[in-house]
Amino acid sequence: MLELKDLGYRYPHTERPALAEVSLAVPRGCVMGLLGPNGAGKTTLISHLSGALAVQSGEILIDGQPLQHVRAKAPTRIAVAPQEQAFYPMLTVAENLACFAAAGGLSGERKKARIEACTSFSQLEQFANVRAERLSGGLKRRLNLAIALLPEPELMLFDEPTVGVDPQSRAFILDAIKSLAQQGAAVIYASHYMEEIEAIADRVAILDHGRVLRQGSLDELLSRSAMLLTLAADGLDEQKLSRFGTVEPGGVHWRVHLHEGIGPGLVLQALEAEGMAVRHAEFGRHDLEQLFMALTHRSLRD
Amino acid sequence: MLLALIKKELLALARDMHGLAALFLMPMIFIVLMSLTLKDIYRPPLAELSYAIDVRDNGTPAQWLLQVWRRSHGAPKPLDANWEAQLRSGALKYVIVLEPGLSAELESAALSTKAQIRLLAEPGIDANLFNALRAELVGASGELKARLALAVPGTSGPPPGASIQALVNAERYSTAGSRPTSVQQNVPAWLVFGMFFVVASLSSLFVQERSSGALGRLRSLGVSRLMLLVSKALPYLGVNALQAVLMLAAGIWLMPLIGGDALSLSGIHWGALLLALAAVSLAAVSLSLALACLVRSHAQAATVGPMVNVLMAAAGGIMVPKFVMPGFMQRLVEVSPMNWGLEALLTVLLRGGGVADTLPQVGRLVMFAAAMFVLAVFLFRRPAP
Repeated sequence: MLELKDLGYRYPHTERPALAEVSLAVPRGCVMGLLGPNGAGKTTLISHLSGALAVQSGEILIDGQPLQHVRAKAPTRIAVAPQEQAFYPMLTVAENLACFAAAGGLSGERKKARIEACTSFSQLEQFANVRAERLSGGLKRRLNLAIALLPEPELMLFDEPTVGVDPQSRAFILDAIKSLAQQGAAVIYASHYMEEIEAIADRVAILDHGRVLRQGSLDELLSRSAMLLTLAADGLDEQKLSRFGTVEPGGVHWRVHLHEGIGPGLVLQALEAEGMAVRHAEFGRHDLEQLFMALTHRSLRD
Repeated sequence: MLLALIKKELLALARDMHGLAALFLMPMIFIVLMSLTLKDIYRPPLAELSYAIDVRDNGTPAQWLLQVWRRSHGAPKPLDANWEAQLRSGALKYVIVLEPGLSAELESAALSTKAQIRLLAEPGIDANLFNALRAELVGASGELKARLALAVPGTSGPPPGASIQALVNAERYSTAGSRPTSVQQNVPAWLVFGMFFVVASLSSLFVQERSSGALGRLRSLGVSRLMLLVSKALPYLGVNALQAVLMLAAGIWLMPLIGGDALSLSGIHWGALLLALAAVSLAAVSLSLALACLVRSHAQAATVGPMVNVLMAAAGGIMVPKFVMPGFMQRLVEVSPMNWGLEALLTVLLRGGGVADTLPQVGRLVMFAAAMFVLAVFLFRRPAP
């Protein structure tokens, strides 16, 4: 469905590209989780897909056709649910849906049917005549979702759609998005919440400094990641541990991403041989958050 | 699609009480207040000013002059001992002092070389009123002096009401026949101001749409920039039309009810009026679109548009009529689109002008509207910062 080939973009008057050689593929029926710290390039990528930014280098293809051709011919094949509440607060839920349905080219019975379907899908029936500004945070997110679904898009982009909502609304939105993919849509889901990505994403791409650091299914990513050994012992330091792998400095607990071929037994044996009493040892692969933090080097971003 | 977008604009405006007040209530209040405040600007209230006379000459000619003045200005106030303090405070608007020797001077055939009549006015008196009083006093005393000099003993005096004033007939000339009043001046002035005030509502919603992502969402749905601009322009052209109907109606029917003069549309050229209003509306909406595309934040939207409007009004003859401005300011106001609109409407409503008479101003307004629309398109295409 969606294929990005070596996509690059540099904003005017900046030294570093916002995107560099980004290649991704999102087939129909798949939820692609897009992870990245602030400034990683997620917004730039989404802006390309929404048509707000023109391609500078590389390609964006929809079913093999360049994106700009597809957008010119049928812009509603792609829908973006932006992070902001992109609707009119002074209009009611029904008025907002009617406005965006018409803007998406719907009319007559089809328009009426789509408004009803999206209202029902987002469970907004009893709020149809409530002004959007009077809705709770969760309901506003559901309205944002309903508007995105109006033209029955084939590719949907959700940019942090659960920010500021209660757990019930979050679970509802995640289930709804998952069901869209199950019905055959391709979905890109950008979020900072790892547990959300783990819950709904079939594939994950980790983006930082405009580049894709890793991509693949969740299992692939986690199985390819280094084995992590977490240790606590008196007298441990980076020098003693660095021969076994990459060390994350810690206070009490030291984390070592073990080099290929080195197992935890070898490390423990070597430390004991040096007379160190290991108080705590934990071994296993990264979870998504650990992988993300390891890849993006834990440094604070904007 | 266009109808849905227009409906959205109108619903948003209808639910914005502040915007509605700025568009309809504010110009209405200005029309009422300014028309009543400036009611006498075309009819200076010379006869209603409180005055006193200090008669220091008891000769008959001085008494005749006193009678002439009483006839046109009513009875004077009694001259108290503290009349100078009353004059300074404005309790008395003016005092006429008839100096000793005035009667002899009036009877003399020679022209005067020394002031025998003093007109003392309160410090804050309007310059036009002061000059009118002075001219009237000079005229009355001159006429009296001439009568005395030309009088032939044994002949009858002039018929009642006869005066040198009867020699001159002065009137404001208008083919439409409408009487110039403050309402006739203020309705078009504040109507133009109100029509340009659509900038506040239009830019406020535009900024909100942009910051919320609604505008980006519409664009991603394939709505063109031109469609978005047109969908904003059309409802506000309608709002301008409604403003015009309401403000003209207020001038015709509301003003007489509250003691003001009525706006008169008798004898005007309706085609010229509609053309002038349409040109003002096009200019106002196009300027509003350009400013809406220019501003980036709610704070800018709340200040830039109204500020530009107030400046254009101040320098455009809306707040202060052009004819009371000094020469260089009168040339300056000619660069204000509000002045073009006002002059076009005054040409129709006060001067009885037709379509051809309004074309210079209408042409400028239409060219301005086209330039602003092109600017709006250009600004709309700018990438977000």
